[in-house]
Order: sequence, then C-alpha cells, then structure tokens
Amino acid sequence: MIPFPVLSIITWAPFVGAVLIMFLARHSPLAVRLIALLTTSISTVLSVFIFVAYDREAAGFQFYEKVALVPPLGISYEIAVDGMSLLMVLLTSIIIFAGVFASWTVKERSQEFYALLLALVTGVYGVFVSLDLFVFFLFYELAVLPMYLLIGIWGSSGEVRPRGIFGWAFRETGVGTKEYAAMKLTLYLLFGSAFILVGIFALYVSAGTGSFSFLELEGASFDARTQFWVFLAFYVGFGILAGIWPLHTWSPDGHASAPTAVSMLHAGVLMKLGAYGVVRVGMGLLPDAAVELAWLVGGIACINVVYGALSAMAQTDLKYVIAYSSVSHMGLVMLGAATLTEAGLNGSVFQMFAHGVMTGLFFALVGLVYEKAHSRAIFTMGGFGRVMPGIATAFTIGGLSSLGLPATSGFVAEILTFMGAWRSAHPWWLVPAVAGTFLTAVYVLRVTKQIFWGPPSPHFEHLEDARGPEWLALVLLTGVIVIFGLMPAIAIGPVGTATVPILTRMVKP
Amino acid sequence: MSLTSPMALEAALGAVLLLVFVGALLARGEDRRGLAWLATAGVLAVGVLSMLARPAGPALGGMFVQDGLAIFAKRLFLAATFIGLLASLSLPDRVFARRAGEYHLLILGSLLGMMVLASARDLILLFLAFELMSIPLYILAGFLKRDAGAVEASLKFFLVGSVSSAVMAYGLSFVYGAARTTDLAKIAAVARAGDPLLTLGLVAALVGIAFKIAAFPFHMWVPDTYEAASTPFVAWLSVAPKAAGFIVLFRVYFEGAGDRAGTWVPIAAFLATVTMVAGNLMALPQQNTKRLLAYSGIAQIGYMLVGVSAASASGTAMVLFYLVAYVFGNMGAFLVVEALARSEGSEATTAFRGLAQRSPLLALAMLLFLLSLGGIPFVAGFWAKLYVFWAATERGLYWLVLLGAILTVVALFYYLLVAKRMYIEPPERTGRVPISATLALSVALCALGVVILGLYPKAVVMAALRVASPLF
Repeated sequence: MIPFPVLSIITWAPFVGAVLIMFLARHSPLAVRLIALLTTSISTVLSVFIFVAYDREAAGFQFYEKVALVPPLGISYEIAVDGMSLLMVLLTSIIIFAGVFASWTVKERSQEFYALLLALVTGVYGVFVSLDLFVFFLFYELAVLPMYLLIGIWGSSGEVRPRGIFGWAFRETGVGTKEYAAMKLTLYLLFGSAFILVGIFALYVSAGTGSFSFLELEGASFDARTQFWVFLAFYVGFGILAGIWPLHTWSPDGHASAPTAVSMLHAGVLMKLGAYGVVRVGMGLLPDAAVELAWLVGGIACINVVYGALSAMAQTDLKYVIAYSSVSHMGLVMLGAATLTEAGLNGSVFQMFAHGVMTGLFFALVGLVYEKAHSRAIFTMGGFGRVMPGIATAFTIGGLSSLGLPATSGFVAEILTFMGAWRSAHPWWLVPAVAGTFLTAVYVLRVTKQIFWGPPSPHFEHLEDARGPEWLALVLLTGVIVIFGLMPAIAIGPVGTATVPILTRMVKP
Repeated sequence: MSLTSPMALEAALGAVLLLVFVGALLARGEDRRGLAWLATAGVLAVGVLSMLARPAGPALGGMFVQDGLAIFAKRLFLAATFIGLLASLSLPDRVFARRAGEYHLLILGSLLGMMVLASARDLILLFLAFELMSIPLYILAGFLKRDAGAVEASLKFFLVGSVSSAVMAYGLSFVYGAARTTDLAKIAAVARAGDPLLTLGLVAALVGIAFKIAAFPFHMWVPDTYEAASTPFVAWLSVAPKAAGFIVLFRVYFEGAGDRAGTWVPIAAFLATVTMVAGNLMALPQQNTKRLLAYSGIAQIGYMLVGVSAASASGTAMVLFYLVAYVFGNMGAFLVVEALARSEGSEATTAFRGLAQRSPLLALAMLLFLLSLGGIPFVAGFWAKLYVFWAATERGLYWLVLLGAILTVVALFYYLLVAKRMYIEPPERTGRVPISATLALSVALCALGVVILGLYPKAVVMAALRVASPLF
C-alpha cells in the first residue's frame, strides 16, 4: 500500500495553485482568488489534520516520504515532520490562509501576485518539512526569491522621510522606497544563503557518508574545528533571515515596504525559518559548537531584544513599529534557543509560533488601517476605536500578546524563555529579556492609545470597520492567539518531543 | 572518409566552408543572404553529424585525438555557432546582406580552428589551431568597417591578442626546450616536477589562454569589443572561443601535466579570485547592457576558474557543464539585447523598461537568462555554480567557495537591476517589441536549454564526468 503523501500535498498544493493561476485564470480576478483560496485551504486543512494525527507518544519524524533524486550524490526528496516542524507547518498554513483574505483587494496584476505568493509558500513549507539538506536549500531559495518582485511591484514606499545630514545620502540611495527595500532584502538573504550553502557542502564533505540526509548527518560526528566554523556559517546564514543584530536592517525596510500579505508571511513565517534553521541544522547537527558558541548567540539575542524594542519606540510610521518589534521578538526566539535548556528551547519554538501569528495579525491590521485611512503615520491618526471597533479590538489583543499578558500565547512563550534563561549558564540574560518586554509594553500601549483610544478626530468620522473576508482573517488570528494562550500544552507537548533529543545530544560542559 | 574517422567532423565542416566559398564566388547582386542560410544549414548538418560521432583512435601520428572531451567540446561549439548564425540571419544592417559570404567564411574558419583545437594533442597543432580560431575573430570584430568604434575595438582586440599569442608561443618554446617533444602525452611522462624551464614556459603560455578566456587582468579588450561589434557575433564570441580556451587549459595543464595537475591549484585559485572580484565589481556601474554582460561574463569566467582550481576530474567536468549552461544563458541574454536594440535603437539598460508588460514572453526569457547567470535554482546556472563550488570544496578550497558564493550576491544586484527595469518600472512605450522569427527561434532555443538543464542537469553532468575522467 502506498501511504497517503500528506506532506507532499501540503507542500505542493500552493505551487499547483500558482501554475493553475498562471495558465488558467488569465483574465478572471475572481478565479485567481478562488484558486488561491482553494489550494491554501487544502494545505491548511491537511496541516490541522497532521497536527491532530501526529503521534505524540511515538514522537520523532513522522509522515515520512522519500524519493531518490540523484542517487550518486546522495540527494533525495526526503520529507517528514517532527514536533517542531509540525508547529511551523501549522503556523505557515494559518498565516497564508489569513494572507489570502488580507490581500483580497489587490487590484493591479493580481494574477502574478497570487502566483508568486503561492510559489513562495511552497518554498516555506518545503523548508520546514525537508530532511535532505540539499532540497532544504532549494526550497529556501524558492522562499526568498519571489520576494523581490512581490515587494518591488506591489509594495509601497514609506512616507516618513529622514531629514538632516542623512537626508541627502538616503535620497541618493533611495532609502525608504520599495525598490530599495526589495533589493536590500533580496541581497541580504542571498548573502546569507551563500554561507548556508558553504556550510552544507562542508558538512557533506567532512561527514563522508555521501548523503545530504539530515538523519544520516545526525549520526556522523564532526571534529571540533569543523563544528565551530560550520556552526558559525549557519548562524550567520540563517541568522540574517532571523534578523540578528547587526544584520537585521533589511527586515524593517522590507516589511514596511511589502504589501500586506507579504509582510504577514515574511515577518510571520520567513523570519522563523531562519531561527528554525539555526535550531534544526545548527544545533541539531553541531551540538558541541552550539554549546561552545551559546554565549555569542545569546549575547547577540540580548542586543536584538533591547535594540529592536528601542528602535520600535522611536518610529513614527506604524508599519516600522511592527517591523522593529519583530526584530525584538526574534531576539527572544534566539535567546530561548541559546539557553540550551528544555524550557528555553520550548519557549523559543513556541515564541516562533506565537510571534508569527501575532505579527501576522498586526500586519493584516496595519494593512486594513492603511487601506481605510491612507496613512501609516502614527501621529496623524487618532480615535479609530470608535469607527472601527473590530480592528481596534483585534489590535489590542495582538498588542497584549506582544507584551506577554497572561492568557495570550505571547505570555507562555516569554515565561518559558525567561525560565530557560534563568536556568542557563548565563542567568544575566534574564535582565535584557525582561527589559525588552517592558519596553514592548511601552511602545505597544503608546501606539494603541494614540491610534485607537485617543480622542476621535473629525477627519476620520467616515471610516469603516473590517468587512466580509477581512473579518475571517482577524477572527482566525486572534482566535489562535487566545486558544494557544489558554491551552499551550497542545503545542508544547509535541515541541518537547523534538527539542529534548537535540539537548540530550549536547554534552554539558 | 567514413563517419568513424577521427577527422570526419572537420572534413564535413571544411566541405561546408568550401561550399560557402564557391557560393560567394558565384553570387551576384546586393542581397546575398542565401549564403547565410547555406552556412547556417551547413552548421546544423555538421551538428547533427556530431551527435553520431564516437571516440576514435589518434590520427596524424598522435597529434590529433578524437576523444570524449573533443567530441563534447565540438558539439558545444557547433550548438553555439548554430544559435549565433540563426540570430544573425535577420541582421538589419545592409552590409551583412551584401557581404554575407565573407562574414560566414570567417565564422566558419574560426569554428574550424576551435574544432581542431579541441582535438589537438601536440603543441604545434595546438598553436596553429589557436591562431586559426583567433585571426578571423579580429576581422569579425571590425566587420562594420565604416564604424570608427568597431575599428577601434577590432584594433585593440588584435593588438592585445597578437601580443598574448606571441607570449604563448614563446612559452610553448620553453616547454619544448624542457621536454624535447611537442607531444602532450610525452611531455606528461618526460617532464620532472619543478623543472623551472617547464614551469616558466607553461606560465607564459597561460597568458595566451587567459587572454582568450578573458581572465583578469587580460580582459581589457572585452567590454569595448563587445560594445562595438554586432550583437549576434558578440553573443557567439562571448561563449565559443572561451569554451575553446578552457579545452586548451585542460589539455595542456591537466592532461599534459600527468599527476602534477595539483601544482596549478594556487595559480588557478588566484586567477579565479581576481577575475571574480574584478568582473563583478566592474559590472556594477554599467549602464549599457552589452558592457554589463561583458563584465558579468568576465565574472562568469572567474567561476569557471574556481572549477579549474579543483584540478580534478570532477572539477573539469563541472567546468564543462558550466560552459554548456553559460552558452545558453549568456547567448540568450545577448540575443534579447539584440531584439530590443533593433526595436528601441538603444542598448542601455533603460531600454528594458516595462518589457514585462509589453512582451511578457521576451521578458520572461531574459529573466531566465539573468537568473541562470546569477545562479538561481531551477535554471541551468544554479547547477553550474553549485557543481564548481562542490568540486572546489572537495579540494578543500572553502575560502574560495565562500568568496564565490558571496560574490554571486554582488552579481545578483546588477542582474536584478535589469529585472527591475523589466518588471517593476513602467514602460515608456506601449506595444509589443517586434522580433524576427529567426531571432525569436534562437532566443527560444537558449531559453529551452536553460530550463531543461535547470530541471534535468543529470544527463549532461554525467556525460561531462565521463569525458573528463580520462584526463587524470
């Protein structure tokens, strides 16, 4: 009996959708949207199915599929999920499902937009499920490249222009324009992928097993020097995507300029892909180097948390606030991973999920606000709570999750990370982590107050609340935040089964 | 002469050459495009014949070999020439119609030089073939003799080219002095490691080859020549003679070096480094697409030299694969530039503005070529870069691979700038870009090559591995 290739269907359904859109739905915008909705629904339903059907007792990699691609070189299409990738697949499905609704109103060249978006999603799923490092890399590139056109064509240029001595230099290079952001993002991420490629080759050559399979490489042992350098290569390569300081600057520009669905997907899922890469490939295959370099990963993560939050406080453009908050939260993700404790690593993975949903919600809301008020400048807006109560409520729930209020998923993630930091070899990490949460509260509450709960302005009397399909996206995302906040165990359970084996392979000094 | 004879392909090409020559003598009138069709059909016929060619024993007392490498290279030359000739069938300038005979005789002559070069295993034959390949190129570069720019480019090309040929001949004479034979197989056996005369000779000969493949710092002729000469010819010039240069490199420095091939690793790695860095950096400020492609081509040569630095069978095979990918990607890009230059009258990158909305298929083809040159997955160039990096990793040249991988990001910057013009910027004019059927066919052939090799590189990789392994 041939097992039902559920993971392949999840991964390739959006791609098939992209192809169908390119060839069949040339002149019908509605058909484009329906195909996109249908194919992402297939992936979403199946992701929920595998999340439920995953055998938590047996743990390990499940739903395994393998097809040899290039046998002489040991490349094969080998996919499976464990507790960690399971959650990431679910996250991707939630975000893209909401993203299709959020971009329902894209008018210009919508056929190409959806086709690129769906191709990108296949890349993201592929990275999370593939066990063959080479195929992993191919999917990674597929997830990065469409971004250039998506931001370059459908993005929006920033309104807030720098003044003073930087004004001239910024104008010359086009800082703030969508073309600049698209190019910067693409080049940064490809720069990272150069390191990843070298790292993968180095592992392949020094393992000598003639295979790119994660499972076989896991069995090989590498000497300390190889581990050190390869881990560093992976850390820089994946870390760029995860937004590590000081290589994070592509992220605010890129996310602020991207169209709504792309921001959601990029900040919500793609940055997690970087953190996932560090944990899965870096820590999973190079345990000794992970222990040796934990101080570096954690130290930089601390800078991320505080620096990202301070930068977010200084912004006057709403989208930049959210974008910098991603930098700050990705710091928490990396910090949790660097603690090398069970609680910390679980917190890290859970934070990836929680932050992904939360930031997806934020970007969807910013998109809606922009579409209605035609502004992203925080201080020109005010009193929206009265005219758009639904959006205001969703934004507040997202904000509370962001600053880690109990009963939201953000709280669970942060408390686990803090516990991990306290038990780790560097308990002082707790200080910047908590400080970051405090700063988050400052900027989130400030923005919420200014935009939604301030005195109503007569300018914005006529604005409307969310409508039709937009509601679906908001309810879905806020619902996920609350459900996983109240019942974190449904996610922590499988995550624990994946993180514990990684930790047991590390020899504690 | 039967098909299995080692020189069957050269004989067939010679026959085509004679046929065109006789045709040129008989032709009357202003429009002699019939000769162009004749030459193109002839090259196609020889190309089909080359598919039947099988390795044969040495001829001319061992000077001429028809081994797997030679056949692989000849098929590559023939494919590139066919695409180039197909694209030049519809050249608008009247001079190409009136002087079609000369133009095609020169190209066929140069092609014959390349084919003999691929088979030469003797220093004298090698040098002769090298010159037979090169001299028609100098004339072809200045074919538009009323155009001052073309004459300047041709002169530059000729002067630098002949000096480097002289240095090469000088170097080869040292090799003969050290080994007392011109037979490469015997040089490999006779020469002792570290013989200073031999090393000096081979390094000097390297100058000539580096000039032909346009490695830094012997690249100066490239941008000017490319800019001034007719684009279909440039498309061919940018791939075929370079491929021939690499075949010589393999013959002399690997096959002729026996088990001392490893001694060339540092030199090749150095050349690869400077060529990649210089080519990529100099491409950045270019506003003329042909100059951009010229510098990017120099960078591409740097990547191939990364494969040469591996000094191994797999490295050589990967360079061969790279050459195949490069033929389709680079020729395709030049031919799209030609199509746009004919309709817009401009070779600047701004001519590409909004192409995606005017001619989506042409824009898509150009995007595929650029992505292939940039080394992006699912098109040919990705596997090419990956495989040369792989080979270099096996040699332990991690730093070189990292440098090359980082420089691909620089390269993507300028490739994406062209993509940006096509896809993001609005068009200045509306309406489809007109493109002649033959040019469209040649672009389509290149696009097909890039996509097929991107999705299924295995067959060509395996063939390259098979032909490269006997060298070591």
